[in-house]
Amino acid sequence: MKEQQSFAPEFEHFYDYARQGELRFPKCESCGRFHWYPMKRCPHCRSEKIGWGQVRRNGTLFSWTVVRHAFDPAFADRLPYMVGLVEFDDAPGVRFVTNLTGADAEAVHIGMELEPVFAASNDPHPLVTFRPARAVDRA
Amino acid sequence: MRKNIAIVGVGETAPTRSAGKDVRALAVDAALAALEDAGLDPSDVDGIMSDGGIMPSSVPHEWLAAQLGVNSYFDASISYGGTGVCAAPMIAEMAIREGLANVVLFYFGVDWGTRPGGPYGFHDIYPAKMAFEKPYGFNGQPSYFALWARRYMHEYGLDERDLATIAVTQRDNAMRHGGGQAKRPLSYDDYFASRMISDPLRISDCCLISDGVGAYVMTSADRARDCRKRPVEVLGVGYAAEPITGDDVFTQKPAMLHLPSVAEASRRAQQRAGVTLDDVDFAEIYDCFTISCLMQIEDIGFCGKGEAAAFIREKGIGIDDGLPVNTHGGMLSYSYRLGIEHVVEAVRQLRGECGDAQVKDASIGLVSGLSVPEYGVLMLGRG
Repeated sequence: MKEQQSFAPEFEHFYDYARQGELRFPKCESCGRFHWYPMKRCPHCRSEKIGWGQVRRNGTLFSWTVVRHAFDPAFADRLPYMVGLVEFDDAPGVRFVTNLTGADAEAVHIGMELEPVFAASNDPHPLVTFRPARAVDRA
Repeated sequence: MRKNIAIVGVGETAPTRSAGKDVRALAVDAALAALEDAGLDPSDVDGIMSDGGIMPSSVPHEWLAAQLGVNSYFDASISYGGTGVCAAPMIAEMAIREGLANVVLFYFGVDWGTRPGGPYGFHDIYPAKMAFEKPYGFNGQPSYFALWARRYMHEYGLDERDLATIAVTQRDNAMRHGGGQAKRPLSYDDYFASRMISDPLRISDCCLISDGVGAYVMTSADRARDCRKRPVEVLGVGYAAEPITGDDVFTQKPAMLHLPSVAEASRRAQQRAGVTLDDVDFAEIYDCFTISCLMQIEDIGFCGKGEAAAFIREKGIGIDDGLPVNTHGGMLSYSYRLGIEHVVEAVRQLRGECGDAQVKDASIGLVSGLSVPEYGVLMLGRG
């Protein structure tokens, strides 16, 4: 059984949106800049007024790896799997750690366009994975 | 320039995956070895230092002081892991100069060779990593540095053979040095045949996993002259940190492949030492992975960004080459005690104790510690 844990409130907001199929990141209402991971105040201007800006467009692969060793035994049965780091035109300053699915490692390349896949489950902290963009960019 | 303090004793437990003793026992062994090396007694020690992140929960100051019978009138800690190892003399120098202490013992080590989870549990202290990275299986240090390596290959055209050269050369250094954890040579064929851990990093790109503790003893330059061995002067120390959290540093750095705190720590160490990198005869660089060693060669300032592979090919990093790097084999081939072995080795090089692995006429050595986003550079000189 998966261990249920709760995170800091500013972390939980990310998952509140993810459960609704929305990808949102902390965005300062004072200076307008994104930051990631969530902080108590905007790290750019120290404002406490932090909203959550929605990513609506596809992401771009910044870097990636194929994990072939289980650093934690809990992941042994998933090997090998791909971890990607994804950037967004509409959330500058954010890089999102995710799993890449639906592509062979040979076809993966930095700069490729990716779209999110929201896990449909009752998990309070659903994974948001990415796959090669198939649909027209949602913007 | 007159130097205020010197390292007068070093000690380490033997490099090994499994020491057969717990880390507190190893700390006592290393501390006593360092004091013996200096010709000093525990009763001579009146200040004690370590890092501020790892040792307080495994071998606290007061425990070691009680075990050794040290009356301590000064204790301090700085950063965590390798940066603390390199930056501690910055604090010790102030303490000794101000008369707060006369003889300062520094110790550091880990039991990550045998502790369940090894090094991999360390990053579980970061809450955002637990919330947003570990669920995706992004939790081992090799995967963090794999993202850097892949991106570096994309931006600067790094070839896998360039990483291989670091691993192979350091192994050559280790074979000449002896005493390290890696016992067999490593050829390019061996490198390319070694198991892929997290593409593009193979197991030969990753540091060893070790049990062990090292220690060094510092005192005033005046008192150093009365110790058993030739003193090694602390020429200058640089410490710098970027305003980015430990959660963010592997993924969110705006310029991922640049380590500005490395550059700043290097600049400060050179300035305080009154020397430049041209004066450095060898460097013990924090080589947790081949890629991190390569990037630091650039950010320390030995060459420009994107130029390290060519620098290594042209200048060479073997013991007899233009810039000997990790003369004991480094963390890749000697041991991974987060850099304490680098300070111990640099001191031994500057005393001329390294036998087949001795850098000829070594008079100035640089040691780096990388505890992202904090960084330390220690410049040492033959006394």
